[in-house]
Amino acid sequence: MRILLVEDDALLGDGIRAGLKLADYAVDWVRDGEAARLALLDHAYQACLLDLGLPRRDGLSLLGDLRRQGHQLPVLILTARDTSADKIAGLDAGADDYLTKPFDLLELQARLRALIRRAGGAATPTLAHAGIVLDPASKRVTRDGQEVALSAREFTLLHDLLRHKSHIRSRSQIEESLYAWGEETGSNTVEVYIHNLRRKLGVNFIRTVRGLGYRLGDAD
Amino acid sequence: MPDRRGRPQSLRRRLLRTVGIAAMLALAASGALSYRQAQHEAEELMDGHLAQSARLLLALASDRQDHLADLARPLATLAAAEASGYEAPLEFQIGRGDGSLLLRSQDAPNASLLATPGYTVIEHDGHPWRLLTVASSAADYRVQVGQSIRLRDRAALELASQAVLPMALISPMLLLLIYLAVRRALKPLDDLAGDVAARSPANLEALPGHRAPLEAQPLISALNRLLIKLRETLDRERRFTADAAHELRTPLAAVRVQAQVAQLTVDTDDRRRALAQVLAGSDRATRVVEQLLRLARLDPLADVARAADVDLAEIARQVFAERPPDGEGRQIRLRAADRPLQVSGDAELLRIVLGNLLDNGMRHTPPGSTITVFARRDRHQVALGVADDGPGVAPDELPRLAERFYRGRAARSEGSGLGLAISQRIAELHGTCLEFENLPGGGFEARLRWPGWRRSPAG
Repeated sequence: MRILLVEDDALLGDGIRAGLKLADYAVDWVRDGEAARLALLDHAYQACLLDLGLPRRDGLSLLGDLRRQGHQLPVLILTARDTSADKIAGLDAGADDYLTKPFDLLELQARLRALIRRAGGAATPTLAHAGIVLDPASKRVTRDGQEVALSAREFTLLHDLLRHKSHIRSRSQIEESLYAWGEETGSNTVEVYIHNLRRKLGVNFIRTVRGLGYRLGDAD
Repeated sequence: MPDRRGRPQSLRRRLLRTVGIAAMLALAASGALSYRQAQHEAEELMDGHLAQSARLLLALASDRQDHLADLARPLATLAAAEASGYEAPLEFQIGRGDGSLLLRSQDAPNASLLATPGYTVIEHDGHPWRLLTVASSAADYRVQVGQSIRLRDRAALELASQAVLPMALISPMLLLLIYLAVRRALKPLDDLAGDVAARSPANLEALPGHRAPLEAQPLISALNRLLIKLRETLDRERRFTADAAHELRTPLAAVRVQAQVAQLTVDTDDRRRALAQVLAGSDRATRVVEQLLRLARLDPLADVARAADVDLAEIARQVFAERPPDGEGRQIRLRAADRPLQVSGDAELLRIVLGNLLDNGMRHTPPGSTITVFARRDRHQVALGVADDGPGVAPDELPRLAERFYRGRAARSEGSGLGLAISQRIAELHGTCLEFENLPGGGFEARLRWPGWRRSPAG
């Protein structure tokens, strides 16, 4: 799960990044509006946390441009501006949620989960396929009611596949969602995680589509 | 306007009293004058009447000297006349030139007919009487007529009263009119007072002046100017409070998030790091609060409290000596004049300004830049400041630099956003100005400048 964090304050940005990492998000952190625009051009994110008062480019104008270009990315505004007028302006500019500083880290995580779930078109908090149920909040996965122990990366990969149930996910797409900038990725790490997931969830749960990537199959 | 006991006096009462008293005095004086005039006229009228009667009697006596006795009865009616109106009863004596009496009314005063012709006043029946003695031209007859002055006075009084009465009737009406006029004239002032009294700090709109009288216009303009100033001050305070809250909110949010990270993480290194960040965040919040307090303390001052002769070159040397360490390879230089540059000011405050300027220079230049702390003299002006060879500031941002909490578009938010605002305030207290300039050859300079500087005798 890859998140773009746009926050100009060093201390706060560092805190949010650390807090989201605890929830196994891959976080790209940029500190001004222009850098955010460039990051959005280059990468696919599951959500964006956006501060409003930014150097070089204001958060609201960035958001406005994003929506004008038809970008569907879930955006949560995270700001010290706390009047109703500010919130209305933010939501009307295309934000999906609005949180004022200071905020509770756990609440931020929950709101992010809800945003990402909704963006995937689901209202129920858990994702299920062929007897496998994934709960993003508690980070638990069950197979036919039995809990399955997964590593953080395995969990994130499974979450990604479940959110794109009917799609084929390429290896680079999966890597995008697994790693933030600067995190080293081995050449075959995705294959290792897929192998582990198959071992734990059933060989046919994940199918390889030759030359294209992976998709969910039927459990055996 | 305070009275002798220091209480404010009512303009209305004062006007009413003054105008009322003046009107009443004028009425009374004119009444008294009319009364005297009327009385005098009445006297002359009566005297004329007396003279006419005397001459008539004289003519009668000359004409009918043989039948005077026959006239006694009809002439008695003169004396018997009712004492009413202007017809006061008339007593008379008629005699010959030698003083012998020919005829007299019943109650005529017993005065000699040989008295000098003319008016006299005598005592008769215990009352004063007005007597007129006349003699015929041939001096063969003399006539004396008299009237009781009391009765004459009564007639005169009646006449005079009629002249004064309307004035007495007018006076209450006049007082009422004065009261109404004063009240009406002062109503715009009352309205103005009511309008001002009804104001709340939330409503500082200008007072409407079109209905107020000319005399109140300067007051209204002054009030409106005050209202505008008040509104600006309030707006500034409101904005400042909002900005201050915002400035504190960010480090507090950071502290909270980092504390939660420390609480949630299982990794010892992560926890140690998060806790270090908590400390850094609380330090920053403290710094913002300190700067806010410093600004709050400087704000109400009108000038420097402890002004002394200060050497700008020495201040530059001190700030340079205490410069903060720079881990990014910036080179900091000192360019201070060899000879003292004396100005009147507070050395402590000037050090704060120069320290802030140096901080800013280091924060807003790329690593490896050269920053110069300077105190220089240029003919008749001296300047204290910091210059760098960095990228400078966008021209449209220059005027806003010293605004509270303003940060340039390219800036990061580690500063409190108050340093230049504080410096600006200190500059104002020193009667000088804080200037920013993009240098022609590249780079940026911020300085305090004293124009019209003259070397003091001590320096």
